[in-house]
Amino acid sequence: MKTLFKPLLLASLLASLPLAASAAEKVRLEYWTMNLSPTFADWAKNATAEFNRQNPNLEAVWVDMNWDQIRPKLIASLAAGTPPALVNFNVPWVHEFAAQGNLQPLDPLIGNAKDVYLPAAVKDVSANGKMYAFPFYNSVSVLAYNQELFAKAGIKEAPRNFAEFISTARTVTAKTGVPAFSPKLAPESGGGVIGWFYYAGLPVIDKGRAVFTSPQHVALVQQFADLYKAGVIPRDAYKMEFEQEIAAYSSGRLAMMTTAPQAIKRLETNAKARYDQTGIAPFPTDKGRRAFGAWMMDFVIPKGAKNPADAAKLGLFLTSDAQQLAFSKATETTFPSTKKANLDPYFQAGANSRDPVERARAVAARSMEFAVVVNIPPGTLPDETTMMRKFNDEMQQAIEGRKPVKAALDAAAAAWNARLVK
Amino acid sequence: MQSARNYTTTAYLFLAPALILMGIFTFWPVGYNTWLAFHDYAIADGSATWNSFAHFKYIYNEALFHHALKNSLLYLLVVPCIQLAALVMAKLVNNRLPGMTFFRATYYIPVITAISVAGVAWAFVYKYDGMLNGFLGWAGHALGLLASPQAHIDWLGDPGIAIYAVMGFTFWKGLGYYMVLYLAGLQAIPAEVEEAAILDGANVWERFWRITVPMVKPTILLCTLLSTIGAMKAFQEVIVLSRGQADTYTALYYVYDQAFRNYNFGRAAAAGLVVTFFCMLLAIVQFRFFGEKR
Repeated sequence: MKTLFKPLLLASLLASLPLAASAAEKVRLEYWTMNLSPTFADWAKNATAEFNRQNPNLEAVWVDMNWDQIRPKLIASLAAGTPPALVNFNVPWVHEFAAQGNLQPLDPLIGNAKDVYLPAAVKDVSANGKMYAFPFYNSVSVLAYNQELFAKAGIKEAPRNFAEFISTARTVTAKTGVPAFSPKLAPESGGGVIGWFYYAGLPVIDKGRAVFTSPQHVALVQQFADLYKAGVIPRDAYKMEFEQEIAAYSSGRLAMMTTAPQAIKRLETNAKARYDQTGIAPFPTDKGRRAFGAWMMDFVIPKGAKNPADAAKLGLFLTSDAQQLAFSKATETTFPSTKKANLDPYFQAGANSRDPVERARAVAARSMEFAVVVNIPPGTLPDETTMMRKFNDEMQQAIEGRKPVKAALDAAAAAWNARLVK
Repeated sequence: MQSARNYTTTAYLFLAPALILMGIFTFWPVGYNTWLAFHDYAIADGSATWNSFAHFKYIYNEALFHHALKNSLLYLLVVPCIQLAALVMAKLVNNRLPGMTFFRATYYIPVITAISVAGVAWAFVYKYDGMLNGFLGWAGHALGLLASPQAHIDWLGDPGIAIYAVMGFTFWKGLGYYMVLYLAGLQAIPAEVEEAAILDGANVWERFWRITVPMVKPTILLCTLLSTIGAMKAFQEVIVLSRGQADTYTALYYVYDQAFRNYNFGRAAAAGLVVTFFCMLLAIVQFRFFGEKR
């Protein structure tokens, strides 16, 4: 037995050599995604397998993680010199990392291939004339409303413009006692008053100075402060993020959701009774001519990633027409950022459906042409984290009635200008 | 018979595993952080450039950091509360009564609960329409103090009280830990000392202040030191409960923001060094107060 052992071991080692050699030749391309598992794991697995089948010399490896882990992990891997090939980012993160020089510009890697994406999507991930990310799925807010509460308040149809939306909200709360809507104020999830300024077509920065102290700016914030005081906006609006908004609407503590169609899908799964009494309407645009709550995902190539050309190949594959359409069909509520896939009849098939998810898909798809994610031009704020915290703190005090609106806006503008003029 | 030299070598060999681990995971990061505080560091290429104290000059003039530091110092209020409560609690569970082990274990559960999980639970407690307001409303209404059965206190949204609400969470989470340390200290007090005091006619209060407190002084020093450092480093509870809103932004939150949101590791290191300086200052004061007089 002992005499047989060594030859057998040698034989098995020799037999495994060709396999090891072929594995060693393959270029490993690890890509990180954000919260796709478990619901959309099939899409990622299929896409990875298809890419590996089409590219025998490359090996895409999918790693999914929670959204708040991605940035710290990427920073750690950049510092260690071992970044992955591709990372799933949202648009603000693209600009943060690009400004720090931590992303690979894509133009030399993909050339004209960027023409497949919607121009607004390409603009959202470009800074200083360079494209820094492969646009992936996109989304805009729709208006989901509790038809029972609307009926109780005597409201027959959904609001068609922002003024009607505000007056509808006031009526609902006055007649039912239920807060009407949460205006996406929680800063940690990208909310806040800045987005509303852009939505209303009001400038924030002009000629290198903060200009949000005009009577129009004051009036807009004052309107939110008045709505807060009247109970139209919930008391915990500054803590109401995506999950909390769904929970509040599901339990009847909110009459309307101004949220992405994904939330409607969640409602269908978690609160079927509420889902069945939900009406869907587009969230009206205002003077800013932009869809409210646009939020695009993308893939970036970190600086220092080995084999950037292969990473770009994987990026183009994952965000291709076919893959984006497959992903939209898997989620049922997100939209492609490529021109061709976005025109697929799938998105308008439910325009006249009574099913809220199908309606939301059709309604949101029609708003995609107004989908713009970027607010303040990238690189404008020298210390964005600190400046945004100051601004959001002042706005929270104003809206919650602890400080006059004008004084809060003046204080925030003074703090911004002190840094902007340096 | 082992020579003194061999004896020392053996001692160091026993210490070596712990020292190596501490060297890698504590001393080296602290040293590197200190070095980083004086440099501009670029993550992309790992380069660092000496910047003539620029980070320290910046945070010296940074109102947000001053405010965060003030909040961290305010957070120290939790230290005497938690120490006193833990000592009293340890004294109570030090009795040989049936069911004491259950109470000791129960008070320790918050310590072993993950802060994220405990934070989610406490967010429900503190929510505007959460458990605490529900209970206060119910009690107030039952006693005729409130017209409605729902209290309207924004525990985590009102800047006047939010930081104290977060401190309440820290108090709840840390109480069991210090209780166990005090319990160990109490159990080291010889029973004869207390018995002699009883025979001399000392009452419960006198025995607590004149015997228990002086004899657990080394434990008080240790616990006060640990909880002071813990309070100065308050960050996790803040990010989980209030996210730094409503005047709960602390110095370590600023460090986190600068490192992981602004990607300015040098500035974050400098701010971290300032926090360390305050921790050391407070430690010196505590050693003066509670340390052994020689």
